[in-house]
Amino acid sequence: MPEQIHHPASYKDPSGFIFSYNGKYYRQINLAYKEDYELFISSGLYSKLKEENLLIAHEEINKNLTGSQNWYSTLLPRQISFISYPYEWCFDQLKDAALLTLKIMKVSINHGMILKDATGFNVQFEAGKPIFIDTLSFEKYDEKKPWIAYRQFCESFLFPLLIEHYREIDAQKLLSIFLDGIPVGVTSKLLPGKSKTSLSVWLHVFLQNRVGNSQSQQKNHVAFSKTKLIRLIDHLESTIRRLTLNSSHKSTWNHYYDETILSQNYLSVKENIFRELLPTKIEGRVMDLGCNDGYFSKILAERSDLVIAADFDSQCINRLYLSEKSKGHSNILPLCIDLTNPPPSTGFRNAERQSFATRAQSEWIAALALVHHLVLSKNIPLGDVAMQLADLCSNMLIIEFVPLEDEKSQQLIRLKTNYHKPYDVPAFESFFGQYFDIVERKPVPGTERLLYCMKKK
Amino acid sequence: MKEVLLYIDPGSGSYLVQMIIAGVLAGVFYFKGLWWKIKNFFVRAKKDDATNGIK
Repeated sequence: MPEQIHHPASYKDPSGFIFSYNGKYYRQINLAYKEDYELFISSGLYSKLKEENLLIAHEEINKNLTGSQNWYSTLLPRQISFISYPYEWCFDQLKDAALLTLKIMKVSINHGMILKDATGFNVQFEAGKPIFIDTLSFEKYDEKKPWIAYRQFCESFLFPLLIEHYREIDAQKLLSIFLDGIPVGVTSKLLPGKSKTSLSVWLHVFLQNRVGNSQSQQKNHVAFSKTKLIRLIDHLESTIRRLTLNSSHKSTWNHYYDETILSQNYLSVKENIFRELLPTKIEGRVMDLGCNDGYFSKILAERSDLVIAADFDSQCINRLYLSEKSKGHSNILPLCIDLTNPPPSTGFRNAERQSFATRAQSEWIAALALVHHLVLSKNIPLGDVAMQLADLCSNMLIIEFVPLEDEKSQQLIRLKTNYHKPYDVPAFESFFGQYFDIVERKPVPGTERLLYCMKKK
Repeated sequence: MKEVLLYIDPGSGSYLVQMIIAGVLAGVFYFKGLWWKIKNFFVRAKKDDATNGIK
C-alpha cells in the first residue's frame, strides 16, 4: 500500500475515507465512527434513505483492505459512472441538490441523527436525479445543539442560488474558486440592496454576516430544540423552493434552434444523417460537446447508457436538465462546461477535484456545429481543437465541419480577419487525420456543411 | 477587510445566528397563527350572518 491510501478528496473527515482497490472505490469506516455507524444502521435511517433512493446503497465488506489500525468496517458503495462537481451544475441541479440535502436532514432528525456536513460535493447525479453519496455524514442528534453544518449549507447551496436568483449571473461557477462555498461576507456584498427586503435573505445572509463572526456567540449557552431546528430546516426549504432562474434575459445560445433560419428543415436532415452514422447500440460513455439544449444528446441517449451533455451556456443546460427531469428518469447528465476553459484540477495539492479532461474521456464523442466557434470566435487553431478532441475521445468521433462560406461562419468573422488560417476542408481533414481515420463523410443537403464519423487511431 | 476568526469552529460560528433565526421564525409562526385566528373569526362571523340571512 502506498503512503497515501485515501482518495485525494477524502481527507477531511476522521470518521473514514474513500480509497481505490482493484479498480473500485471503497469506503473505510474508522473506529472513531463505530457508534454513529451502528446507530445509522440500527435506527433504520440507512434503510429508509436507501429505499427512497436518497443515499447511495452499499455492501458491507468484512475485510480490512487498507491494513489500517483504525479500521472498523469497509463499505463497497454502488459505483457512480461519472463524478461531477457543483461548479459544473446548472441552477436547478444545485437547487435540487440543496433540497435533497434538506430532505435527508429531516429524515435523519426523525431517526435521531443529523447531517454533520452539508457540502455540494456530497451529492452526485444519477439517472437525472441527485443522490447523496457520503455515508459517513450522519451523527447522533443532540437536541440541545443547533445544526453544525448550517453555515456550510448556506455557503454551498443557498448563497450561490440567491446570487443567481437576484443577479442573474452564473454564480455556481464561483464554487470552483470557493470550494468550501461562497463566504457570507462575499455573498452580502454581491447581493443587491433590494434583496434585503426579503426576510429570508436578511436572516440567512445579512444577519449571519453581522453576527456570524462575533465573539459573543461563544458565551451563548442557551439550548436549542428540535422544534427550532425543524423550523429552521423548513424555512431554508421554502426559501430555496421559491428561488428561480430568471431566463427572460438572453444567453448566448438560448433558443438557438428556435430562432436560427436553419432550424426545422436543417435539423431534420442533419438528424437523419446523424442517426445513420450511429450504431443501434453505443457501448461505453458518450459525450455531446456543445450540446445546446440537447437535441442530439437525446438521440444519443436512445442508444446508450450514459450521455454527458456539455455546453458552456448554463441556461441551455438548465433547460435540458428540466426537460429531462420532467421525464422522471434520464440517462443524460447535463453539465456547464466551457471547452476553452474546462474545469481544472483544483483543491488541496491540486488533486482534490479532478480536471474535466481527466474525468471526461469517452468512447463516443459528438461535436456538432462546434468547431467553427472554437476556431473563428475563440481563435483556437484547428490543430489544437483536433488535439483536444483526440484527448477526450477513446474510440469514435462524430463531428460537423462548418466551412467559412456558411452563413454562421460569416457571422462570426464579419468583424474580424484575424483568425487562424487555413480554415477549410483539406486543413480540417489533415489536422483531424493526425489522430483519427475518417470512416464516413456526409454532406448535409442544402448547406455546405459536412458530417464526419471518425475512428481514433 | 473584516476580521475573520479563524480559530472558531464553523459550527459554533453559526450558533448565535441560528438562535436568532429560530426566535424570529417562532415570532413569525405565532403572528401567522394569530392572523389566521382573527381572519377565521371574522370569516365565520360573516358566514354566520349570511346563513342567518338565508333563514
